[in-house]
Amino acid sequence: MTTTTEVDDEQREPEAGRLRSAVAGKAWWRELLSIGFGRSFWGFLAFAVVSGAACRLVDGEAAFFDALTADVGLLLQTAPRIALALAVAGFLWVTLPRDRVTSLIGTESGLRGLLIATVAGVVTPGGPSSAFPLLAVLGASGADRGAMISYVSSWAILGLQRILVWDVPFMGTEFSLVRFLVCLPLPIVAGLIARRLPLTLRLVETQGGGR
Amino acid sequence: MINVGILVLGVAAVALAAVALRQGTDTFTRGVKRAVEQAAHLVPRMICALIGAGFVGKLMPSDLIAQHLGGEAGIWAILVATAAGLVLPAGPVVAFAIAAVFARAGASVPALVAFITSWSLFAAHRIFMYEIPLLGLSFVRLRVASVAVAPVLAGLIAMAVGMVVTFAQPATG
Repeated sequence: MTTTTEVDDEQREPEAGRLRSAVAGKAWWRELLSIGFGRSFWGFLAFAVVSGAACRLVDGEAAFFDALTADVGLLLQTAPRIALALAVAGFLWVTLPRDRVTSLIGTESGLRGLLIATVAGVVTPGGPSSAFPLLAVLGASGADRGAMISYVSSWAILGLQRILVWDVPFMGTEFSLVRFLVCLPLPIVAGLIARRLPLTLRLVETQGGGR
Repeated sequence: MINVGILVLGVAAVALAAVALRQGTDTFTRGVKRAVEQAAHLVPRMICALIGAGFVGKLMPSDLIAQHLGGEAGIWAILVATAAGLVLPAGPVVAFAIAAVFARAGASVPALVAFITSWSLFAAHRIFMYEIPLLGLSFVRLRVASVAVAPVLAGLIAMAVGMVVTFAQPATG
């Protein structure tokens, strides 16, 4: 199983896979540094610097420091939530085997099948690099199109790990809860629509089983 | 500041850590390692994104955001938010930093729900990097057709619920 992380730019992080087998020694800390300050980090840094410079130029020095202090305050407030959310996500990742989750989908049809797919999508941890390969396996094993659509929509909109790591720290608990409840019926609606659409579905042959 | 969010997260973290420990110290260690790895990846980027988003928030005319995404704008706000989520080809750091900027500038809850739903369903980079190679274009076509109404629907449901219950403006911090 290729190990992958839910990363900011949702790209595959090959280093992360190597890490797990390494002992938590000096090499691990060095790897952490290279993960933290990898290529996309500099993109984010450039974004911060360019937008900061633009803010300084357009709105003046006072506005620049205003924004900066507000940001630092926000960061300090958000930090404990992010730390806890990452702990939750980390333990969720190791205690919840993803293959066991998906083995449930496709065994039931009708509305029940869509419900199971939706629940499975909610609890599937990880970013797109783990969800889409699982989806490909599902398709190859003959899951119905409604269940596939419900599953991937549910993972995208309602994924618990995404909500914990992103919604809660950035938007607050109340908003996250409201969004979750409001969106709860959507994956099922999407699955029902998918079953009725007169579109042909030809899946890509999964190379190497997709894993 | 201790609030409900931190409390819920704290309880969940302790409970899950206990579950992991029951499965063995090895599982526990792997969980800790994964959390640290994710933190190493996310925290530096998150800091830059939040600071950058703060500057962008200052640059973006907030009365314009309030006018088009605020509660007064009604269904128009939901449509604008859906479109904004649709064209955003970025990962969660950028998407949520922007959502936080919108919230601070006075975007309504239905608009924010529509924005996040739209982004999470149509994030373009994800379609190109994973969905097309692994599942093929015909699957993308089926999925997009099936979920096309979802963001607007989510916004409308939020709006309908908002008529019965009043939401607090999402706290950004």
